[in-house]
Amino acid sequence: MTPDILILAQEAADSSKLAATIWSGLSLGAIYALLAMGFVIIFKATHVLNFAHGALAALGAFFVASFATIIDVPGRWMPNAPAWLTWGLAVVLALIAAALVGMLLERLFLRPMVGEELFAVAIVTLGIDIVVRNITNDWIGTDIRPLGDPWGTNFFDLGFVRIAHTEIAQFVVSIVLVVGVALFFRSRTGIAMRATAFDQEAARAQGINVGRIFAISWAIGAVLAAVGGIFASTFPRRTGVDQATAFFAFKAFPAIILGGLDSIVGAVIGGFVIGLAEVAAGTYLEQFEFLGTGFGGVVPYIVMLIVLLVRPYGLFGTEEIRRV
Amino acid sequence: MRGRPLLFTSYEADQALMPTTTKKVALTVFLVALVLVPVYDVIPFAPDFLAKDDWLKVLTNVMIFAIGALGLNILTGLAGQVSLGHAFFMGLGAYTAAALGAPEGPLVGLGLPMWIWLPAAAVVPALVGVLVGPTAVRVRGLYLAIVTLGLVFIGEYLFRNTESWTGGSQAGRTFPRFQFRFWKEEEPLVDFSRKGEWFGIELSNEAKTYILLLGFAIVATLIAKNIQRTRVGRAFQAIRDRDIAAEVMGVDEFRYKLLAFGISSAFAGVSGALLASFVGRTIPERWDLLLSVQFIAIILIGGAGTVTGTLMGALFVIALPRVVQDFTAWLSDKIDAGEGIIAKVGDVFIATSGDDFGIVNTLPGTGPGLSVFQLNLVIYGLLIIVFLIFEPLGLYGIWLRVRNYWKGWPFTY
Amino acid sequence: MMDIKTDVGVDLEAGVIKIGLLSDLTGPFGPLVSLIVAGQEVFWQNVNDNGGINGLQVELEVRDTQYVVDNHVQFYEELKDEVVAFGHSTGSPHTVAIVPQLQEDGILAIPLTWYSGWSDPDLNSNLLPHGAPYCIEAQNMIEYLMKQAQANGVDNPKLAIASLPGDYGLDSAAGAKIAAEALGLEVVYDGSGTIIPTDESTFTANADAIVASGADIVWVTATPGSFSSIYGQAIAKGFQALWGGAGPTFNPAFVAPDSPIKDAIARDWYQSGYYSNWFDDNPGSTEARELFAKYRPDAPPQDFYLEGFIEGIIMKAALERAYENGDMTQAGVLAAAKSLEEVDFNGMAPPERYTGEPNERLQRAIYISRPDPEGLAAGTSTGLQLIEELYVSETAQNFVFEEACYKLGG
Repeated sequence: MTPDILILAQEAADSSKLAATIWSGLSLGAIYALLAMGFVIIFKATHVLNFAHGALAALGAFFVASFATIIDVPGRWMPNAPAWLTWGLAVVLALIAAALVGMLLERLFLRPMVGEELFAVAIVTLGIDIVVRNITNDWIGTDIRPLGDPWGTNFFDLGFVRIAHTEIAQFVVSIVLVVGVALFFRSRTGIAMRATAFDQEAARAQGINVGRIFAISWAIGAVLAAVGGIFASTFPRRTGVDQATAFFAFKAFPAIILGGLDSIVGAVIGGFVIGLAEVAAGTYLEQFEFLGTGFGGVVPYIVMLIVLLVRPYGLFGTEEIRRV
Repeated sequence: MRGRPLLFTSYEADQALMPTTTKKVALTVFLVALVLVPVYDVIPFAPDFLAKDDWLKVLTNVMIFAIGALGLNILTGLAGQVSLGHAFFMGLGAYTAAALGAPEGPLVGLGLPMWIWLPAAAVVPALVGVLVGPTAVRVRGLYLAIVTLGLVFIGEYLFRNTESWTGGSQAGRTFPRFQFRFWKEEEPLVDFSRKGEWFGIELSNEAKTYILLLGFAIVATLIAKNIQRTRVGRAFQAIRDRDIAAEVMGVDEFRYKLLAFGISSAFAGVSGALLASFVGRTIPERWDLLLSVQFIAIILIGGAGTVTGTLMGALFVIALPRVVQDFTAWLSDKIDAGEGIIAKVGDVFIATSGDDFGIVNTLPGTGPGLSVFQLNLVIYGLLIIVFLIFEPLGLYGIWLRVRNYWKGWPFTY
Repeated sequence: MMDIKTDVGVDLEAGVIKIGLLSDLTGPFGPLVSLIVAGQEVFWQNVNDNGGINGLQVELEVRDTQYVVDNHVQFYEELKDEVVAFGHSTGSPHTVAIVPQLQEDGILAIPLTWYSGWSDPDLNSNLLPHGAPYCIEAQNMIEYLMKQAQANGVDNPKLAIASLPGDYGLDSAAGAKIAAEALGLEVVYDGSGTIIPTDESTFTANADAIVASGADIVWVTATPGSFSSIYGQAIAKGFQALWGGAGPTFNPAFVAPDSPIKDAIARDWYQSGYYSNWFDDNPGSTEARELFAKYRPDAPPQDFYLEGFIEGIIMKAALERAYENGDMTQAGVLAAAKSLEEVDFNGMAPPERYTGEPNERLQRAIYISRPDPEGLAAGTSTGLQLIEELYVSETAQNFVFEEACYKLGG
């Protein structure tokens, strides 16, 4: 009998399996990174830890399903347009709707909480999560709702690994958004947001409209959540958005903690690390009987705990300076 | 000086459990009223619906959740450490109880009596709480919230995979019943899980269980109250308010944080064991994040940091779904009858037929509109939000204002 | 109506019978169970409009358990003092949790799960199971898929199994293994109980293992969401086989016009069912469609409504027998139900009997369908086209029930 560890070594040497694992880990990680980035932007600007992020992701994906397939807007008015164009426009509409929902939630429920304890504000978002999730579930209804994306089940075959078109799209979009967010922080509004994050009162004294900054950050956060939700609901990961989609975002928590609550770079790196760790554990450790079922799923949390033991503010988080 | 209200001449008197005669009388009357709930159907003018088995079960649930919430209140309300991991410790307590107390069978169970398994359900989670404590003590604030959230997921994974203890995912196991025994004798001394006669009154098993759990809840409340008003409680509050200042003043932050985790986990474990035994059978998926959130909701809606508030929060959160359900049923009956102003207003909210518009739809599975059950969850979520925004002191804050109003009545100041 | 005995849930003066439903309306199976509840509501609406049960109107008391055992027990306690019987009880651990109380209180319940343990005399006394259990269903389907594979030129097809944990997944997986042994099939991957619906990583791991095993037949028993993820990741790697799984694994949205996997799944999937489909032309389904057109004209077509009708028909038969016996107490309805030699479903489901030995009572017949994207797009099917009615394989026919294929822990 070969010891398990030897089998593991042999399997790791199997390059096509390794390539497939890395690829599928990165593609999962890209979704976590998108979700984590949304979290961090909201946290950075408004100091709100948003537990409703998953609900926003599901809602955003459902908006896409609504515009692209259920009510077919704008597709119904442009019957001759190519599929990618009508779908693209539907996504744009859905993202605008998601941004509006984000701003509305901030204005209604979080603006009154400015200056309250961080913990109390975080719990408000737990309440928001329950409300938004249940209303979204009622809209989604009983079926899985396909998003109607133009990529279908097509893939590129590179021999040692197959790459679905959706996964390419997901990577391109993730990179564009990461760069976009980075550039945004260099823009005038972005600098204002950084100032607000640093000290809300001082920023206000400098003439920055802090309320507007809050609204913008929630809009961006909601859009990033929606994009994450879209890719979490497309082939090959899923065939559409359903009532379980909202729970997907919980895995982004280890990612943001790993990177540090207020670091964009950390969120992106954390997302990829967690995605890779989860898939690799699922693929390579499943054979160890004593680990049982679903060990891969808790690996992100274990990684998170270990990192926090060494660095209590994550890899890139700002250490809080405490005074008496 | 004697007889002046609210004039305390010593610190002991100020911190006494029942500082005034009014309080003593009120509390006694209240406790007697609680004990008598199962016989409300024979007492004139009492709300007799409470004596029915299903409402007794709701009230028993309130007691169980109150015990768990008192624990979380010590950790979060007093010591200021946010924990979303309460469900994990409850599960730990439940499975400790099952392993020791459940009858021998295909799953681990030693068939030991309740006086062993119930204390063990406090001790084991407390030890685990102290073990994971160091990690939790290192991180602060929101980081701690997420670490404890991770604990729930790791716990679910562990419970799923220890099949000989938990029965396995989606299958579950049975738990020991509420029975008093000396040792493993056949006939229990007192059996709360079967109906029978006590002091000449015929009581259902629900009524007996209610009285038992009421007793546990009273004991838990006394313990919580005493922790709060003694040295340990004051140290917790000092850490909550300014941890460095507390340390400078000689409060050992590390030790007290560990202690808070341990105490809170002990309460959680007992609450979990009682919950599982009360239900009789439960699956590992029961100890999930939603359960933790329910406890957070209880202490926030009740008023964090106060024992009275925590108890009110438990009553509110656990009984609310039942009230909403009864109310919606009552409203749709009114609408079906079709008369009066209530019917007109209610009709806007409730859809009773396929083509009727309404926020709430009484026909599940078809047409738009939330089902009564989704409405329940939405109300629950909205309440968490509304309380935090408008009444950070929770029900306790409202209670204080009402009390103060009547104290000064008819003067408004 | 002079000599009818009643206790709880039947009010002869008001002319009302109350039936309780313990449903999961907002939990993981909420999407399906709310359709079943809708089916029951329409069924009883029609019964009531046609004179009810000998003039008594039937009212439903629905409670949402959220698929949490505590809530299930809690609502059982609430309803046991209001209803004469339970029209369904969702979930196996949940139903097992109330069985002792059902036995103590002498109340009847129809389990809304197809767990093979319901035939066990210890559990069966107060339950009216219906439809082939997951274990028998799997035995039927594995044999059927083997014959399909052989017809396609694979002489010794290899089998891969993946499932959720718990009664649903493990009962089905156990049935698949019983069939594999009886038929001499090689099980190249056994992922029984390894799909965790809330854990994305288990989908990837299962998909990888299924692809690596090189199976010709894949038997997956899961939720639609987790199945679609496993299936999607497997075909993305270029894997092709015959796929099947317990009934609730499939969701019609898989073959919706916008679904990315509709062509692939139409090629690969064999759907089994405990009853026929919504658009089939048997008298039962036809009547159900007419009643929905009458009472719920806006409701979208769904197969799960039929389950509501089936539960309703069983309960109606029990209530009518109890009325004939002159005993409409909770115990009377239970006794009446347990004396039903045959309940006929007008062709929409195989007839059930509730007397005799477990092996006589055990339902072995299933329905087999293929995905039907064209029909769904055209509105003439719910996405499934029936190909086999009342199918019983040799394995299932020869199966002797001694105890549940998968035993729920103590």
